[in-house]
Amino acid sequence: MRNLTTVLKIAPAFLLAGTMMHAQVQDSTEREKQIEEIVLIGYGSKKKSDLTGSVTAVSEKDFNKGAIVSADQLIQGKAPGVRITNSGGSPDSAPNIRIRGGSSLSANNNPLIVIDGIPLDSTNPAGISNPMLLVNPNDIESFSVLKDASATAIYGARASNGVILITTKKGSSRTRFNFSSNVSFGEVTKFIDVMDADQFVTFVKDYFPNNAWSLGVGGSSTMPTVAGKLYDTNWQEQIYRTSVSSDNNFSASGSLFGKLPTRFSFGYNKAEGVVKNDDLQRFSAALRFNPTFFDNHLKVDLNLKGFRIDKNVVDGSGAIGSALTMNPTYPVFYDYVQDPMLNNTYFGGYFQNVIFNPTTSNYSFAGANNPLATLEQRRRPENTNQFLGNIELDYKFHFLPELRAVVNLGLDRSETKIKEVYEDFARNSIGSSSGVTTFNGFVYNPGVSYAETQNKKNRLMDAYLVYQKSFGKVLSNFLIQGGYSWQDFRNEGNKDLYTINQTTGVREPLIDTNNPTNGYFTNVNLQSFFGRTNIDLFDKYLLTFSMRADASSVFQGFEKQWGYFPSAALAWKIHQEELFNLGSTFKELKLRLGWGQTGQQDIVSIVGAFPSRPLFSIGNPNSQYLSGLNIYSALPFNLDLGWETTTTKNIGLDFATRNNLLSGTVEFYDRETKDLLLQVSSPPGQSLTNAFLDNVGKIGNKGVEMNLNVNPVRSEKIDWNVFGNFGYNKGEVIDLNEVTEINAGGNLPVGTGVQIARHVVGLQPMMAWVFEQAYDTNGEPLAGVFVDRNNDGLLNNDDRYNEQLTPNWTYGFGSSLIAGNWDFTANFRGQIGGKVYNGSKVALGFVQNALPQNALSLNNVIDFYDGVSSFNLVSPTDDMYFSDYYLEDASFLRLDNFTVGYKINNVFKSNSAIRFYGSVNNAFIITKYKGVDPENFGGIDSNFYPRPRIYTFGLNLDF
Amino acid sequence: MKNNFYKKIIGLALLGALSIGCTDDLNTEPKYELTLEQLLQQDPNAIDGMLSKMYSTFALSSVNGAGSSDIAGADPGESPFVRGLINLQDFTADGMKNRWGDGGLDPLTTTSNWSANNKFFKYMYDRIYYTVPQTTNLILILKNRVEVSNEDQYISELRFLRALSYYYLIDLFGKGPLVNDDTFGSSAPLPESNRQQLFDFVEAELLDIENKIAPSNSYGRANAATVQMLLAKIYLNAEVYTGTARYAEAATYASKVIAGGYQLETNFRKNFATDNNTSKEIIFPLIADAVNSQSFGNTTYIIQGSIGAQTMNPANYGAVNPPDGAWSGHRATKAWYGLFGNSAADLAASTDVRAKLFWTTGHNWEMNDYKEWTDGYPSVKFTNLSSTGTGTPSVFVSTDFPLFRLADALLIYSECAARNASGASMAQGLTYFNQVRTRSGASAFPSYTLQNVLDERGREFGLEGVRRQDLIRFGKFTGGSYLWPWKGGVKDGTSISDNYKVFPIPTTALQANPNLTPNPGY
Repeated sequence: MRNLTTVLKIAPAFLLAGTMMHAQVQDSTEREKQIEEIVLIGYGSKKKSDLTGSVTAVSEKDFNKGAIVSADQLIQGKAPGVRITNSGGSPDSAPNIRIRGGSSLSANNNPLIVIDGIPLDSTNPAGISNPMLLVNPNDIESFSVLKDASATAIYGARASNGVILITTKKGSSRTRFNFSSNVSFGEVTKFIDVMDADQFVTFVKDYFPNNAWSLGVGGSSTMPTVAGKLYDTNWQEQIYRTSVSSDNNFSASGSLFGKLPTRFSFGYNKAEGVVKNDDLQRFSAALRFNPTFFDNHLKVDLNLKGFRIDKNVVDGSGAIGSALTMNPTYPVFYDYVQDPMLNNTYFGGYFQNVIFNPTTSNYSFAGANNPLATLEQRRRPENTNQFLGNIELDYKFHFLPELRAVVNLGLDRSETKIKEVYEDFARNSIGSSSGVTTFNGFVYNPGVSYAETQNKKNRLMDAYLVYQKSFGKVLSNFLIQGGYSWQDFRNEGNKDLYTINQTTGVREPLIDTNNPTNGYFTNVNLQSFFGRTNIDLFDKYLLTFSMRADASSVFQGFEKQWGYFPSAALAWKIHQEELFNLGSTFKELKLRLGWGQTGQQDIVSIVGAFPSRPLFSIGNPNSQYLSGLNIYSALPFNLDLGWETTTTKNIGLDFATRNNLLSGTVEFYDRETKDLLLQVSSPPGQSLTNAFLDNVGKIGNKGVEMNLNVNPVRSEKIDWNVFGNFGYNKGEVIDLNEVTEINAGGNLPVGTGVQIARHVVGLQPMMAWVFEQAYDTNGEPLAGVFVDRNNDGLLNNDDRYNEQLTPNWTYGFGSSLIAGNWDFTANFRGQIGGKVYNGSKVALGFVQNALPQNALSLNNVIDFYDGVSSFNLVSPTDDMYFSDYYLEDASFLRLDNFTVGYKINNVFKSNSAIRFYGSVNNAFIITKYKGVDPENFGGIDSNFYPRPRIYTFGLNLDF
Repeated sequence: MKNNFYKKIIGLALLGALSIGCTDDLNTEPKYELTLEQLLQQDPNAIDGMLSKMYSTFALSSVNGAGSSDIAGADPGESPFVRGLINLQDFTADGMKNRWGDGGLDPLTTTSNWSANNKFFKYMYDRIYYTVPQTTNLILILKNRVEVSNEDQYISELRFLRALSYYYLIDLFGKGPLVNDDTFGSSAPLPESNRQQLFDFVEAELLDIENKIAPSNSYGRANAATVQMLLAKIYLNAEVYTGTARYAEAATYASKVIAGGYQLETNFRKNFATDNNTSKEIIFPLIADAVNSQSFGNTTYIIQGSIGAQTMNPANYGAVNPPDGAWSGHRATKAWYGLFGNSAADLAASTDVRAKLFWTTGHNWEMNDYKEWTDGYPSVKFTNLSSTGTGTPSVFVSTDFPLFRLADALLIYSECAARNASGASMAQGLTYFNQVRTRSGASAFPSYTLQNVLDERGREFGLEGVRRQDLIRFGKFTGGSYLWPWKGGVKDGTSISDNYKVFPIPTTALQANPNLTPNPGY
C-alpha cells in the first residue's frame, strides 16, 4: 500500500514530462561533445597528455548508470586499483574506498576527497555515513583519482591513500537546460537459510522436547512438551520491502547578462532502503558562477552548494539479527484480547513473546524482540543541513602575465539534528521489567529517548603563486609554484541522554552536573607550505618536483608536528621521439616514472583529536565511586606520536593509437609506509591502557594495474566501446618493531571480545588466524576437532594458520554500444581471492543456539536439514569459533549495472534531446559464497544489510 | 585606475589570507577533557577524584557508565574485576558452577580445555595491567608534579592498590612484567618477572606502607588493617607462590588485623546485603550502587547471575525479571552445600544460617548437567535487599563486595596454627575458628584439623573469590585426590593436570611483549 502511494506521488511529474517531450519530436543533429582532456591534479590542472603522475580520470560518459544515490557509485569498478566496497545495501551505507590497498593499518585508509577544491573532512557529519552524498551525482562532470605520490604529494597530509578530485559542472556560454527523472524499485534477492516453521517444530521436538512449550503461542512451562498454537512466519520477509526510490534533477546553465557564466541545479532524491522504514531524502542545490574580469586577467570561480539530507535511521542490523533468530512459529501481529488471561491490546498490536512465570507470578519478555516492531515503533530522524562553498580568485598579473596568484577560500558547514523517538506501546521503550505482576504493569516510555545536535565547521584557505612560461623549443614549458594552506576542522555538539529509573521504570533525563549538555568537541588544525615545479624539455621529457611541509595539531611539539614530503617524477613522450617514428601509430605513448612521499595523521576517529597530550576525563553520574567526590580518569596518550610516512614508486605506460582503436595504461607500483600510526597492544602495564596508538613498523603494497579501452566500431551510427581494468595488490606487513603479530580486530558475532584477525609480519594485513577443521567420514565437521598441524600431539595456538581475508585481484569490465538512437551499457566488476567469515553460520549454526541461556524461549537457527551447518555442532567452544570451517571464498563476479536507452533528438527544438532508459543494478552475482554477499569489506559477514537488485526507469531531457 | 584598485584588492587578499593562517592554530584546545593543571584549578578535591578512579577499577568497567570499558576490545559487562574474580576463583573450584557456556565460561566451570585464547583470562590480565600503570602514573604525578599536604597517604593507598593487583597476578597467572615507578614509561618491552620476584616486590611495598598509611580511613579506602590483611594473605600462600612457607608471618599479620577493631557481624547476612556498608566486619569493600556506581561486573553479576525466574522470585532478592535481571547462571554444587548436610532437608534443619542460603525448591541436589538450571542449588548468600529484607528491585545492585573481612583473618590464623606456625597457638586458633562458626549458629568444635579449616572456609567464603586459591594451598585443586562435580569436564570429576594451578598467559599479552612466555602446558 505504502509503495503504491509513493508511485502515485512520483508518477505524475514523470508522465507529464514524458508526454510533453514526446509531443514535440523534431529533427536535428546532435553535436558531438569534445571531451576536454584537462585533468585536475591539485592546485592546478594539466593536459592529460602532459601528466607525469598516476591519475585515472573518469568522466561523465563512463559513469555507472542506473540507481545512483551517491557519487562513489558512479565509479565503482571503473578505475583500476580502486576498490570501493560499500558497507551494505542501505542508501546511506558508508563506502570503504581503497586505492591500491591501504597504506595504514590503524589510521584512516580512505582517500582524501576533494570537491571543487574543498578537501572534505574525514569525519562525516553525525547524520551521514557516506560523505559522497554531499555532492549531487548529476552535477558531477568528472573524477580524477590521483594514485601515486608524485600526483598526490601536492596534497601532502591526508593524501597518502590517494586523492579523489570531484569536479562539478560549470556554467556555459550557451543556455542549456537539463531535466532528468527516474524511479527505481529494489528487492532483496537472497535470504539467509534459517528454518521455516515446520522444520523448526520437527527440530525442537527432536532436540529440545522439554522446550516444546515455547513453540507457538500459549504454551506453558508447566506442561513443557506441549506446544502452543503454531503460526508460520518468515521473519526475513517481514522486515524487507520492495523499495521505491526516485531521483529528479533540473539544471540550467548559461551566461547571465551575456557575461556571467552560471550554472544552477536542483535535485531531489528520495531513496528507500529495502529494510522497512530505512528512508533517505536529499535536496540539493548548486549554484556556480565563473566570471572573468579585466580581459581574462581575473578568473573567479564561486561555488555554492547546499544540501538537506533527512534520514530515518532504523536499527537495521538489530532487526536483521532478530529476524534470523525470532521463533518462526510466532505470529507477526497478535490480538492479546483473544488471550483469556488478558483483556487489552498490547505492544501496539505486534506480537512480543511475553511469558508468564508461575513461580514468580510475573510477566516478562523472553527471546528476540519482534523485528518488525523494532523497525516500525521507533523513529530516528537525522536531519542534516550542509553548506559547501568556496571562492577561488585566480589573478594573472598585469605587469607579468606569466605570474598568477590564486586564493581559494572554502567553508564546509553542517548542522545535524538527531532524535530517537518511540511510538506508543513500543516494546523496546519498556525499560525495566522488574515486578510486573499484571500485563498492565509494563511501563512504556514513548517519546524521545535520545537527541543530539552537532555543528561542524571546516574552513580552508589556500594561497599560492604560479609562474609559468614557455622558453622556446628546449624548455618548452616551465612552471614553478609555491603557497600556503590552512585548514581547520571543528566538530562540536551535545546530546540529550536518558536513563531508566530503576524503581519506577520511567525514562528520565541523565543529568551530568559536570557536563550538563553532554557536550563534545574536537578541533584539528592542519597547515602546510607547498611548492611544485614542472620542467618540460622539447615537449618530450617532462619533469615534476614537489615539496610540501605539513603540520598537524594532533601531534605535539615542533619536531613531531611538522613532516616534510617531497616528490619527483619524469615522463617521456615516446611518440614524440622522431627516432622511433611511432607518431603515426600512436597518438600517445608515454612512459612515467614517479617517486614521492606523503604523510598520514588522520587518527581522530580512533583516539580523538588530542592523543598526544596527557588529559583527564570526568566520569559520568552512574560511574562514581568514593562518596562525595567527582571521579577523574587519566586518559591514555602518547607524547611521541608523529607522522606516518608513505613512500611510493610508480612506473606507468600510457598508450593510445591514432585510430582510437586501443588506449590504456599499465602501471606498476611499490608503496611502503613506515612509522605506522598503529593501534597496538601495549606491552602489558607499559601504557595507561592495554592498547593505544604508536608509530610502529612498516607495511608495503606492491601491485599492477591495467586499464584498456577498445573502440572497435566507431561510425556515424554506431559507436561501440569495450573497457576492462584490473588491479592486483599484494600487501605485506614488513615490520612491527618488537613483535611479529598484532591483533587486527575482526569481531566475531559470538559476543564481544572474540576476534579473529591479525596483522602478521611477512603476510598481507588482515589475516584470519584459524584452526584447520577436521571432518568425519561423511564430510561433516567434527565439533572442536582440528588438525594437529605441527604434529606435536597438542592442540593449541601453534596449530593455527593464517588465511588472507582481503582479495588481491579486483577487476571491472564492460561495454557500451550506441546504435542509432539506442544505447546499451553493461558494467561488470568483481574480485578474485580473499575470504569471508560466514557469521550467521557460527551465530546460528550450533544446535544449542536454539535454546537461550535462560531456557525461557527458543531461537531460530540455520537450516541444519539443508546442510548449511551440521548436526555435529551441538554447542560452541572457544576454539571452534576460529575454525576455518567458517571461512569461505570471497571471489565474485557481479553485473553491477545494465542499461538500455533510447534517445530522440530535437524533440521540440533543435539541440534538444530526450532519452528514456531502463536499467538493472546488481543484476546478478556469481559466487561460491553461501551467505548473503561475499563483497564484504571487513571480511566478517554478520547481519549484513543485503544489497538489493534495483530496477530503474528514467528519462533525461536536454534542451 | 580600475586596474590599480584591483591589484590592491588582490594584494590585500593575499596578505590577509596569509595572516589568517597562523601557526598558533596548531595548538588546538580540548573543551571537555582537562589537563592536570586545569583539573587541579577547577576542583580542590581533584586528587581524591583521581584516587576514587583507582579504587573504582576493582568494581567498575569505566567512568563512562556500565556500557563502556577502560580496556580496549573488552566487553564492558564481562570484563570488570569482581566478575573475573568469581569466574576464575569460584567457577573453576568445587563449590560454584555456571551454566551459560558462552564464549569461554565452560572451560572455567569444568576446569578443562583452558586455552590462551579464552577471553576471561585476558579480561582479568588486562584489568590487572590497567590498574598497575594507572596507579603508578598517579604516584609519579604526586611525586613530581603536584604539591599536596597528605602526599604520603595518597601514595600509600595507590601503592596498596598496585600491590593488590600484583597479588592477583601472582595468584592467577604466576608471572608477568614488573612495572613500578622506575620502569613505568620505558617503551622497550620489560622482562618477565617470576613469581618470587613479584612476591618480593609486593611484600616490600606492603611492609613499607604499613606504617605510612593511616590507621583508619573513610569508607571504601585502604587503611593499615587493609595492608596487613593483604600481607597475611600473601604470606599464607607464600609456599605456593615461592616454595618457602611463611605461615608465622601470616599469623602475625592476621593477628594485627584481628586487633584492628573489626568485629564479626552477629548477622552473617549483613556482610552480603545492601546495608553492608555499615558492617563492622568488612575490612575492604568494593563499592556497588544501583544508581551511582553501576557495573555489570561487580556484585550485580553475583546477584543477578544467581537468580533464575524459572524457579525463584527475583523480587525476593531485590533482583529484576529477565532479560534485564535474573540471568539464571550460577548454582552451587554439593561440594559447597554438602558441607552442611546430605539433603535439602538437612540444610533446612541446620542451625547454621549459612546452610539456609541456598534455594532448593525446584532444584536437584546433584548436578547431573551443569547446563541445566535446576541441577544444583542457587546461592542466595548475596542479596540486593538490606539485611532486614527491605529495598527496591533493580538491575544494578547496591551491595558492596567484601573483598577482605574479619572472618578471613580469623581463619587464616587458625590455619597457620594448624600448620604449626611459630608464634601461633592451636588454642587461639580454635577460639577464632569457633567464633566464625558460632556466629552463624553452627556448633563449636572441641578441636580442629587442617581439613576442618578448609571445610570451614568452604562454608564461609563461597562466592567471595578465594576458593580456587584455598584448594591449591591445600593441594586439592589439581590431581585426583579431591574430586568435585564437573572437575575436568566429567560429572563426578576427574583428575586434572598440575599446570592448571595457574592460568594461561593470554595470547594478546604474549604477542605484545615478546619477553613473556606461556605458562607450561598451554
